[in-house]
Amino acid sequence: MANHSQKPWTGPPCGRVPRRTFLSDIGFGFTGLALGSMLNGDGIVRADDTPSWSPPTGQPHFQPKTKSIIWIFLSGGVSQLETWDPKPALNKYAGKTYDATGLPNPTKSPLFAARSRDVVGGARPHSKIFPLQVGFKKYGRSGVEISDWWPHLVTCADDIAFVRSMYSTDNDHNAEFQMHHGRHKLDEKQPVIGSWIHYGLGTLNENLPQFVFLGQYTDPRVKENFAADYLGPQYGGVEVSLDPKNPLPFGNRVKGVQARQQENEFKFIQQMNELASVEYPEDDQLRARIKSYELAYKMQGSIPEVVNISGESQETLNLYGIDEEKTATYGRRLLAARRLAERGVRFSLVYLSDYGEWDSHVELHKRHSLSCSRVDKPIADLLKDLKRRGLSEDVTVVCCTEFGRTPGLEVREGVALTATGRDHHPHAFTIWMAGAGIKPGIVHGATDELGFHAIEHPHYVTDIHATVLNLLGLDPKRLDIPGRKRLEIDYGTPIHQIMA
Amino acid sequence: MSEINLAPLEKNGPEFMDLFQSAKRCILKFCVSLSIILISPYANSTEKVDYERQIKPIFRNRCNACHGALKQKAKLRLDTANFMLQGGYGGPAIEPGHAEESLLLERLVESDQDLRMPPEGAPLTPEQIELVKTWITQGAQHPTNEAPESDPFKHWSFVPPVRPEIQSAPAGSKTVNPIDKLLGDRLAKSGLSRQPRAENHVLIRRLYLDLTGLPPTRAELQEFLKDPSDAAYSSIVDRLLASPRHGERWARHWMDVWRYSDWYGRRSVPDVLNSYGQIWRWRDWIVQSLNQDRGYDSMVKAMLAADEISPDKPSDQAATGFLVRNFYRWNYSLWLKDNVEHTGKAFLGLTFNCAHCHDHKYDPIKNDDYFALRAVFEPIEIRHDRVPGEPDPGPYPEYSYGASYKPITSGLVRVFDKNLDAKTFVYLKGESRNIVPGRPPVQPGFPEFLGGKVAPVVTIKLPPQIAYPGIQAFVRQEEIAFREKTLAESDKNLKLIELEIQNQKKNGPESELQKLKLKLAETVKATALADLASIHARIDADQARYNKTSPESEARTMLAVESERFLSLRKAGSVLAQAELTHAEALKKSAAEGAKTAPKLETARKAYDVALADLKKLDKNQKFTPLSPTYPDSTTGRRAALAKWITSPANPLAARVAVNHIWRWHFGSPLVATTSDFGRNGAQPTNQELLDWLAQELMNPTNPAIQPWSMKAIHKLIITSETYRMRSEPESPNDPGKSVDSANKSYWHFPRTRMEAEEVRDSALHVSGQLDTTAGGPDIDLKEGLVSHRRSLYFSHHGESRMPFLEIFDAADACDAYKRTSSVVPQQALAMVNNDFLIDLSRTLADRLWNELSGNPGSDQAKLEQFLKAAFETVLSRPVKPAELKLATQFIISQSKIIEAQSTDHKTAGKLVAEALARRDMVHALFSHNDFLTIH
Repeated sequence: MANHSQKPWTGPPCGRVPRRTFLSDIGFGFTGLALGSMLNGDGIVRADDTPSWSPPTGQPHFQPKTKSIIWIFLSGGVSQLETWDPKPALNKYAGKTYDATGLPNPTKSPLFAARSRDVVGGARPHSKIFPLQVGFKKYGRSGVEISDWWPHLVTCADDIAFVRSMYSTDNDHNAEFQMHHGRHKLDEKQPVIGSWIHYGLGTLNENLPQFVFLGQYTDPRVKENFAADYLGPQYGGVEVSLDPKNPLPFGNRVKGVQARQQENEFKFIQQMNELASVEYPEDDQLRARIKSYELAYKMQGSIPEVVNISGESQETLNLYGIDEEKTATYGRRLLAARRLAERGVRFSLVYLSDYGEWDSHVELHKRHSLSCSRVDKPIADLLKDLKRRGLSEDVTVVCCTEFGRTPGLEVREGVALTATGRDHHPHAFTIWMAGAGIKPGIVHGATDELGFHAIEHPHYVTDIHATVLNLLGLDPKRLDIPGRKRLEIDYGTPIHQIMA
Repeated sequence: MSEINLAPLEKNGPEFMDLFQSAKRCILKFCVSLSIILISPYANSTEKVDYERQIKPIFRNRCNACHGALKQKAKLRLDTANFMLQGGYGGPAIEPGHAEESLLLERLVESDQDLRMPPEGAPLTPEQIELVKTWITQGAQHPTNEAPESDPFKHWSFVPPVRPEIQSAPAGSKTVNPIDKLLGDRLAKSGLSRQPRAENHVLIRRLYLDLTGLPPTRAELQEFLKDPSDAAYSSIVDRLLASPRHGERWARHWMDVWRYSDWYGRRSVPDVLNSYGQIWRWRDWIVQSLNQDRGYDSMVKAMLAADEISPDKPSDQAATGFLVRNFYRWNYSLWLKDNVEHTGKAFLGLTFNCAHCHDHKYDPIKNDDYFALRAVFEPIEIRHDRVPGEPDPGPYPEYSYGASYKPITSGLVRVFDKNLDAKTFVYLKGESRNIVPGRPPVQPGFPEFLGGKVAPVVTIKLPPQIAYPGIQAFVRQEEIAFREKTLAESDKNLKLIELEIQNQKKNGPESELQKLKLKLAETVKATALADLASIHARIDADQARYNKTSPESEARTMLAVESERFLSLRKAGSVLAQAELTHAEALKKSAAEGAKTAPKLETARKAYDVALADLKKLDKNQKFTPLSPTYPDSTTGRRAALAKWITSPANPLAARVAVNHIWRWHFGSPLVATTSDFGRNGAQPTNQELLDWLAQELMNPTNPAIQPWSMKAIHKLIITSETYRMRSEPESPNDPGKSVDSANKSYWHFPRTRMEAEEVRDSALHVSGQLDTTAGGPDIDLKEGLVSHRRSLYFSHHGESRMPFLEIFDAADACDAYKRTSSVVPQQALAMVNNDFLIDLSRTLADRLWNELSGNPGSDQAKLEQFLKAAFETVLSRPVKPAELKLATQFIISQSKIIEAQSTDHKTAGKLVAEALARRDMVHALFSHNDFLTIH
């Protein structure tokens, strides 16, 4: 760890009042009730063993480099080969088995067993090499190679730090949740990265949730991506819908209830509870409840404004591709993410695909080219918009997926498949980051010649968590909760090489 | 240093190690001192290091698991300074005053990862190493009377609970509840005293919510306010314990710990990966068992092994839902892992899961113990049992890669031993593919250190209807009845066609089509007849086989086979008759249409010919279709042995773990904070005497009239204690308890809690008179959560989703709820306020309360007062206070003015409607009152 990050951080975060300190006894906002009392009451804390433990103060542990994270997730497994890690060798060896290439057979490398644990059984041979489905060129000063399916993103090449040496360990889609909480399906679940951030940092805007999920899904498992697990539901991601008429769960007045009528009822509730506090002066939950009603009322008023993008200029709407059907949905989602970050939301998980959308076992060419065309412009324009507004000093963008895809063509014994796609591949994939605290225009890490194994600077998914936490000034080890065992691998290691 | 490899030498034993170590020390000395200088910003610090405060915790957290009381690797212990001086194979670990010569330090700063200590996890931080170094340099000072870690086998919870001696009250004085006595003694020692009894309305609400999850009705409240005597209290306790609502309330508690989950995995597909369809029968079994006050021991036995212990009790089989719940379609190893982990946590308060990859770091559970426990579950598999009056759920489908499986919607799901000689092989690092070659399979077993009478594992013979459910009378009756019904229908249809033809014949001969129709109806009836005959033949053959009348059995079997062949022929005949009719109808339209149906007719003809030929090819060895799948006729008895060992009165943990949960559900906080870990890394009990007394009382009740393990008896004991009846708010603002024991570990006041999620929803329904008390049945869709008026425990609850309203109020995580959190967040406020379900309930309640006053003469003011009185008593279960009366009156007036101003109705009607809505809003606001959500 670089020296500067060891410095104790004493000032308030980002020039704001550290609310958490002020409210440390009862804990407000989306943070909820007093952590100390909650944990003690729960008995999670072993009082006799951890005299020194105290809940996070809400302040960074050291000087942060960013304030907010926009975390873009592309579900289903983006092919590293057809996007940000093109491998011309695949064209050279197309149709050959791994053995026939003369290169070391990657499935016989010790890395193969070391980095994968199957959840779903069944052999999945994919040894015949499938050629690249798209061309690629070099872009920017760094000359990073990007595929032709990203005509807009390539114009931001000099702003992005690519990490081409990611690996995960699950060969099925639970890797998606693993990307967010860091553990394999067969191991005990952990809180997701957004929840740790929410848990560790004070709020910048107490009228808004700290951790927001933006996206739509029909598969309820998607919720695992923003579940706080043992940190408790108050640290989970809040689903914010882009419909200003119904932006939050229970965020709208019931039909027929007028604004003044509800305001009067809120006032009445508060007055009654104030009266009750005379009888129960020792009831700290009552004090928290009074405050929570006040905040609820404020939040209900402020969230619709945030998600209402109608106030944005036509130029901005065009910028995110909101004027075009193909890009409108995702453009809106990213514009909303920018508005949330602008107003101090710490972590927005932007689900920029349908569940499993990128999962191209067949017709990879058709599916990936289509999916790219839906997100390319909105993502590129988010980076541009952040930059021109000076927000790239405060906001970091992460773009990731759960795993890559096999260099080989997918065929499965006993399963009829049109052999036109690639299978799941946890051994190598690419993610990228841009914005505050990130070195622009670099490529970090590398896969082997076939794009099969991450060999140079390999990074497990929690290294991305560690990087993001480090940018926010947090040391994950200092967020531990007594009685909940975390492993070294859960903490990860920040990727300092991509940090400015 | 990398050229020195310690690992092979270790195999050579301690003597070589000694030599090696001293040689190595010389080499290392220089490097160590150098590295310490490099990393140490405080090399010359003279500040005195505090051994107890600064050094001991480092060793406790990082070293003592291998070098302490539990294990003494390299014969070295680090849990006291004297042990360090004494050292291990390598000689003394520390040389006071000479840090650079201390072996301990060498190993801490070792750069070779294979040699560095601790071997797992990150190295100690430079600051920690510096502290250790400074401590040694300063002479390794330590207290002379330093106590070593206590013997792990004598850990408090591994020793059976002993009932503490309780001095009987002096003759003539009131008997004291032992709970009060045990807690009272402790309070007296800390100079504290118990709070006085809570006000009657507080007490009665606490009691009702505790035992039934629902507050008292207004009438029930008034009943107690009128007669708050101990006798009345006691009889209310009895009444509530006997209420069906009690089982529902406490089932939800136990469902947290037993991890109740409806099926999940890929609900949207749908594809059952985790848990299983029809598991709700286990939930209903829990509710019923609690209502019947079935013993805790008996419930545990049934959940682990009903199929082995009471195979002839069909209603018990659903209890194995405890194991079915852990089912994971894609990976059986994970299923077994979860069974081991959660059997340990739920019933024993032990974390066996920690011994999955290595010996336990805190408890004397060996890695082998883990596999021995896994072996207990190794033979299991899922099966579907048919239930009277429900369609046959069919056999359990084996998994085929890539396929998805819908949940079954009838019958019962449970486990059974399928592979009676299933072997358990040890694998490494928690990865089931890393089976250790050459290691013989592990035998089933339980950790011996816990003692208890280990029942031998003996194979258990199962009743014939378990091995072959098809011989059950209800199955036969239903199969026959179904066919009789089909036959009657086919006969009715035939008669209709005959009638049609008769009528036709009055005007001329019947048409060709009519002839074909008649033929079809005749063959369908003939098929139904053959089917009925065949089921009788199959049942007869089953019966003969069951009676073991050998020659007859063979003959009957032949008849059954023959009857099925004949049935096949009849079925082929029906298909053929249908094809002939279809073809004739098509031909009538056009030749082209006819050409389309011709191939089907041809196929049907050929199939008929095949069936006819088959009929003649009968031979002795053929089998008929059984009425159900068949299963092994015995079971390994492994799980029965485990269950008996857990619930044996000599087991030190089972009863303690159970009463700890029961205690926390009454008081909101447990006696042992770590409810699923009673091991050495778990919390100490805040009052072990009390815990042990309760555990003993559960197993061996003082009153011989009470059955052992009765939970209702323990409830009553707790609830009738003075401790339970205390105030929650200290009576005096200067009570010493506030400073002496602010965490209330000694229970000097009743711990105030927030309603649990289900209580919030169910109570709102109940107080507004809208609760639907229908009990049991399949889980209700989550979408109905704020539509249906059923109790919350009947809604889908699983690893994928919970009802959002309940989730906001910290509903149990279906996968991990050995404890619940209790938060206060703005989302809860929104969920209470912006909730049309609650608004509707409020409207109904407000209107009802208002209408009940319609006969009352008096001023508007008086009527409003009556209304408010009723509303407070109904929703908050307490009398309204004068200040509240004033505030609420003002609110109703101001609110109706606001509503009226917005109203477009006729003036008078508008005022009336506005007033009604204002009353509704008043009631609705009461649901957000702290006194509604809080149990004081």
